[in-house]
Amino acid sequence: MFLHNFKYEILHSLRVKDLLFWLILFPIVLGTFFKIAFNDIYEKSEQFSTVPIAVVETSEDKIFHSVMDGIEQSDDPLFKVTYTDGDKALDMLKNGKVMGIIRIDEGEKSLSVSGEGIEQTIIKSFLEQYAVQEQIITDAAANPQNLESVIAALNSEVKANETVPLTEDDPDPYVSYFYNLIAMVALFGSLTGLHIAMENQANLHPLGARKNCSPTPKLVSLTASLLGSYVVQAVCVIITVSYVAFVLKIDFGSRLPLVYISGILGGILGVSMGFMVGSFGSMSEGAKTGICMTVSMLCCFFSGLMVANMKALIADKAPWFNKINPAALISDTFYCLEIYSDYDRYIEKNITMAIISVIFIVIGFLLTRRKKYASL
Amino acid sequence: MEKTVVKIDNLVKRYKDLVALDHFSLEIKEGEVFGLLGPNGSGKTTTINCLLSLLSFDKGSVEIFGKQMTPVSYDIKREIGVIMQNVAVFDEMTVYENIDYFCGLYIKDKAERKKCVEEAVKFVGLEDFLKFYPKKLSGGLLRRLNIACGIAHKPKLIILDEPTVAVDPQSRNKILEGILDLNKHGATIIYTSHYMEEVEQICTRIAIMDKGKKIAEGTTDELKRMIKKSETVTIDILHIPQEVLDEIGRLPHAGEVEYAESKLTVSFLGGKHNLIRILDLLQKNNLSFGRVYTTLPTLNDVFLEITGTELRDKED
Repeated sequence: MFLHNFKYEILHSLRVKDLLFWLILFPIVLGTFFKIAFNDIYEKSEQFSTVPIAVVETSEDKIFHSVMDGIEQSDDPLFKVTYTDGDKALDMLKNGKVMGIIRIDEGEKSLSVSGEGIEQTIIKSFLEQYAVQEQIITDAAANPQNLESVIAALNSEVKANETVPLTEDDPDPYVSYFYNLIAMVALFGSLTGLHIAMENQANLHPLGARKNCSPTPKLVSLTASLLGSYVVQAVCVIITVSYVAFVLKIDFGSRLPLVYISGILGGILGVSMGFMVGSFGSMSEGAKTGICMTVSMLCCFFSGLMVANMKALIADKAPWFNKINPAALISDTFYCLEIYSDYDRYIEKNITMAIISVIFIVIGFLLTRRKKYASL
Repeated sequence: MEKTVVKIDNLVKRYKDLVALDHFSLEIKEGEVFGLLGPNGSGKTTTINCLLSLLSFDKGSVEIFGKQMTPVSYDIKREIGVIMQNVAVFDEMTVYENIDYFCGLYIKDKAERKKCVEEAVKFVGLEDFLKFYPKKLSGGLLRRLNIACGIAHKPKLIILDEPTVAVDPQSRNKILEGILDLNKHGATIIYTSHYMEEVEQICTRIAIMDKGKKIAEGTTDELKRMIKKSETVTIDILHIPQEVLDEIGRLPHAGEVEYAESKLTVSFLGGKHNLIRILDLLQKNNLSFGRVYTTLPTLNDVFLEITGTELRDKED
């Protein structure tokens, strides 16, 4: 009986179009949109580091030349320099092959750009800074005894603060959007849980009445249905994470297996939450679906998936809520990986998710254990 | 001696101030096709739900196959097939999968289940629709699927709660024939309906319900004998003087006399040769007439005479 119920629960869930839309199609589409939106930002970030420029030298400036060579040969070059004559440089500027032209004429440096933008600002700032430093050195040369210390001071970089990385990997600020996406898929599992609760109660669904007339104990039927749903939910989370990681090529670094684990646990939490909500009262399926979606959305809202500083606000005003809010728990596990690389905290959050899932299931079972109904 | 399959004793079910079942008792013997007839809201479905231990009740007891029925009476449930008023199938599963799923709740063995499912499919005539999803089926075919899901495990007691609601006449006949066939194969049937013709057609014994009470019980003939009205004579006649109508009203056993739209209708409360007496009277008065026919009392007449209201009036 158990395997029979389990098999049909999986078959049934995999054919519910609404569920497949919210659990697979929607996150894939949304993830793709994220990728398209962020790609533009990524590409622009890439361009910051290598701004193509043309240098036109009508007179030789060995120092400037060597500075530019040094910049070009660095690991993360700021400029890609093309030495050429004035006409060709102008053509390159017009064609967008370079962002600016630096002209060196008798020691004087002038800049031509074709528009306004980050790249043009970078070139302008560089040239201004170079001019200031060149002047300092020239002035210092007037007092040769100070020349050495001036050059040393110019070469050394004074930092007012120091950046200390919290994570082993290089955190990507946009990955958190994909973590939130996975958390959302996990919580959408509540819809599956809701169906299980409804379809096993005689007073809520005709199928529940028919199942209650059968000799299959409710405990067996519910357990098989829940396990079947966990499997379907896990598959949906795996599809989403795999799509994000391998198709959209979002780099989860060495944390990918842990993302799978937390996603699946989050899915189990989502299904269990839906099961508990579905077990409350004797409202219609539509009303309960509405409640389930509202609860999920509120959990997401209070966990900061919609408003960035909401989670901090809740942490300040009602810290206990963050510890039991399913959405906050799911996103916390991902933040543990992404921001802190804190595995103890990660494990603690996962254990909390498992405990809350068990609590939800127990409450759901207690509410649905009733065998006879006052009205149908 | 015939075994008692179902015994309901003094059942009382209240929904706050409304008494849905008022000291209702019933005994159904093995092999019977037992009809529960009554208008909507009379308590038929409540009786079935209490019988199946889905509903709690305030007083009384229910025994099936000689054992007290409880929600965990799995051995009893295994022998019961239920076809509810609302179609209860999975929209996302095919005809075959639906029947297999529900049959699987009763029968573990795969080979045995496969045989049962195939027989149920054949029984309801859904062989050509095995891979269809319920949404693609017509109302009649959907009802047939609903029945197949309830009887595939070959139960000894089959409970059908208004299985022909919103079904076309062809499918209705098919369903009724099927029920009789199940009975022939040994199943005891409980059939609830507010369609008296159906109940008359297939049930060996009938209980008429109204306002949660059993108001009459017996075979169709027994029920009809309970009332005074024996037959209704209808004659097509173009004109009839008032004095002749009065004379007809004075005939022995004559009850209500009506003349409307060239139709004379006379109901008799018992007696013999009623038709001959009317025809003699018409001939004596030189009145020519057309079609003549008599109708025997229906279950609606039984219901009307006992409760003072029409069974059909309450249907909607």
